[in-house]
Amino acid sequence: MAALTPYTYIQCPCSDSSTLGRSSGPNSPTGSEGDEDDRTFDPRAPRSNYSLYPLEYLLYCEDCHQIRCPRCVSEEIVTYYCPNCLFEVPSSTIKSEGNRCTRSCFQCPICIGPLAVTSVETKPDPGLLAATDNTAAPHSGPYALTCSYCNWSSTEVGIKFDKPNSIHAQLAKLRNGGTTRLTAKERKERRKDPSYRSQAAATTGSEGGAGPGKEEKLDLETQFANLKSFYQRQLADPNSADTGLASLSDLGFSSPTSLSRIMSIYTGGSLQDKKAKSRVGAMREALESDEGLQIADLDESAAIDKLQTDGHDGTASTAQLLDQIPNLGEAHLHGRSRFLSELRPIPYLLRAKRSKRCPVCRHIISKPEAKIQTTRFRIRLVAGSYIPSLAIRPLSLSSASSTSSSGASVPGALLEPLKPTHFLLTFRNPIFDTIKVTLGAPAKTPGRFPSKVTVLCPEFEIDANTDVWDEALKDSGERERERERERRARRGGFEESTTTSSSNNHNNNNNNNAQNQLEVGKIWERGRNWVSIVVEVVPPSLKLGDSTGDGGGVLREDEDVLEIPMFVRVEWESEGGGDEVAVAARDTSGGSKEAREKRELAYWCVLGLGRIRRS
Amino acid sequence: MSSKRHSILPPVSQSGPKPPVHFSSSITIADSALLIGTNLIVIHSESVIHPRAKLDSLAGRITVGRRCIVHERATLGAVGTSGKITEAAVTLGDYVTVEVGASIEAGETVIGEGTVVGVGARVGAGAVVGKHCTLTPHTEIAAGEVVPDFTVVYSNGMRRTDKRGVAELKNKGQARQIDVLRRMIPSNPAKFA
Repeated sequence: MAALTPYTYIQCPCSDSSTLGRSSGPNSPTGSEGDEDDRTFDPRAPRSNYSLYPLEYLLYCEDCHQIRCPRCVSEEIVTYYCPNCLFEVPSSTIKSEGNRCTRSCFQCPICIGPLAVTSVETKPDPGLLAATDNTAAPHSGPYALTCSYCNWSSTEVGIKFDKPNSIHAQLAKLRNGGTTRLTAKERKERRKDPSYRSQAAATTGSEGGAGPGKEEKLDLETQFANLKSFYQRQLADPNSADTGLASLSDLGFSSPTSLSRIMSIYTGGSLQDKKAKSRVGAMREALESDEGLQIADLDESAAIDKLQTDGHDGTASTAQLLDQIPNLGEAHLHGRSRFLSELRPIPYLLRAKRSKRCPVCRHIISKPEAKIQTTRFRIRLVAGSYIPSLAIRPLSLSSASSTSSSGASVPGALLEPLKPTHFLLTFRNPIFDTIKVTLGAPAKTPGRFPSKVTVLCPEFEIDANTDVWDEALKDSGERERERERERRARRGGFEESTTTSSSNNHNNNNNNNAQNQLEVGKIWERGRNWVSIVVEVVPPSLKLGDSTGDGGGVLREDEDVLEIPMFVRVEWESEGGGDEVAVAARDTSGGSKEAREKRELAYWCVLGLGRIRRS
Repeated sequence: MSSKRHSILPPVSQSGPKPPVHFSSSITIADSALLIGTNLIVIHSESVIHPRAKLDSLAGRITVGRRCIVHERATLGAVGTSGKITEAAVTLGDYVTVEVGASIEAGETVIGEGTVVGVGARVGAGAVVGKHCTLTPHTEIAAGEVVPDFTVVYSNGMRRTDKRGVAELKNKGQARQIDVLRRMIPSNPAKFA
């Protein structure tokens, strides 16, 4: 089984209000819904998955003094850019051109690797020519997009480019197979050309034989344009409007038809009804390709033949098809690309840099640099610099008596059921004020297998996060002395009997003779801006079957993970709105100023301690 | 600053007896390439063996064709699960590139002309890879499998036929790369003779 490193997730308070509204499903105990304050946060509840975040994911609003998670910030887009060429795309271009890079950035349609523009033309043999000649004319002839990962090349779909730049514009005009796509204007001009007419008739006649061979193959864009102009003509035409309007009910957007509709309303309902009936079917549908008619090509024998030769490997997967962008130059819905050999290069999707705002006070809590090349942030209020971080470490009290190696001494080891295990929680204070931390944890964790939890020291103070050098310079200060005294007191009279040495050798050497320090209400260890406390856990035995209660006799996924919900309340005094450096300076000089403000922050967090051994 | 790069790894231990070799005079083989085994190792003209490439002829003869490149930490003739001893363990055709960390197991394994075996790829014993194939990084070819010519094998098992028809071009590119490599890698075939 995969080892589990201890973790801490913090519940963003934003999810509280949502759970207030309704009961959180069948998992919530029925009696506790009334009093929200008494309810223990259940890390296994289905909702909890969506509100727990590691500390690194969280932001902090300085004005509301509240944690903000990715769910409860409002985002604004700063810039759009292409992840491949790192060019900024103005938002006006996005409105007109879409959210794809319109330069020469493409992805391989098969393996999504980046495509490079290379010359198709075989270069002259380097052995025959001097090197200078090669550099003189490095690239010539047609170009193709090639994937260096899987050797796909756009020549496979018959696409070659004349120029090595502005590939996007060139590709838009090219159909698979290399035939150029005509714009509507060109098409119109071409149709007038008699020589083209005869030629087109000849080709369609030869391949299609009899029947409606006259129809030209329309691509999606032209078909839509033709249909649109045809229907607009129909509606605008006063003669057809007189008859054709009713079938379109209230959709008269050309003025003569609207007028006639209003007139018919005022002239009397019965007459209008009768008229309407006679009008149905009077509006003509498109009859030829000029008007946008496209006969469905139901002959799929070519595709079937291809499938027989290429097999399943030759077809495009769903993911590949989804990556394809709708190509307006495409022939028609019938014969849409289903084979690998028809996939086109994918222009890179643009990305966006976003700034984040607090949804309550609208203050910006995260703002990246607008320049795309830099990854820095102008403003980034990460929660880690405002709320204490929490590190979990298994604590082995392996003195000579308990040699049976309580499994948790190695990080990630399985926890023995029904055996008290100790964990060291280290709170580190990031702010420049002394904070007072109060912890609350349920005596038994929620769930089918409740573990017994005892927080040995649920209330303590952590010193301010002063400058590292401050500490070094006046290390022999009063506080240190006081701490030393405290340490002595903790050891009590056991100083002389220190024969056993603890296995966990911390950087501070004050935790030898660990057995004697496990006292309720005492801090295990403290440093400049951190405090370690001990939590004792008795994991349950994962015996199943005897209780055929909820869920049956199967151990559910991750039910063997020992998770402790813990309510953390942090209190500190800070200057209202003042900057922290000044606060820190004052704090060291004593403290009680009149302008100080009491603040508190409270949240649930979940400590994942490890997996319990299955019996 | 010295221009020479020093490896932080300990020197390669050339343990066991030297295998009999048959080198063309125009090959480039690094001093720290690892040639072990008991059977013949044949390297044809203009091929390049990078430092720390491992050619193991314990399970049979190793043949490297013309203008091949065997990169660092690539293994030819890895004794795989079968452990059979055959006459020809691994045969590389001409213009084959075996990239960094790729492993070709022994046992009548054949890599066709112009094929690129990608980074960290593994070719099982007895597999026959066709000509001008591309095995993308970390692909695995099962033992005994036959890969047709011009196949691109993706690491997720997908396959595709390469229809570019640029084999000639690729071979020329390979020749030029070998020209460069020859200047970069100090050759010492005498060590293995």
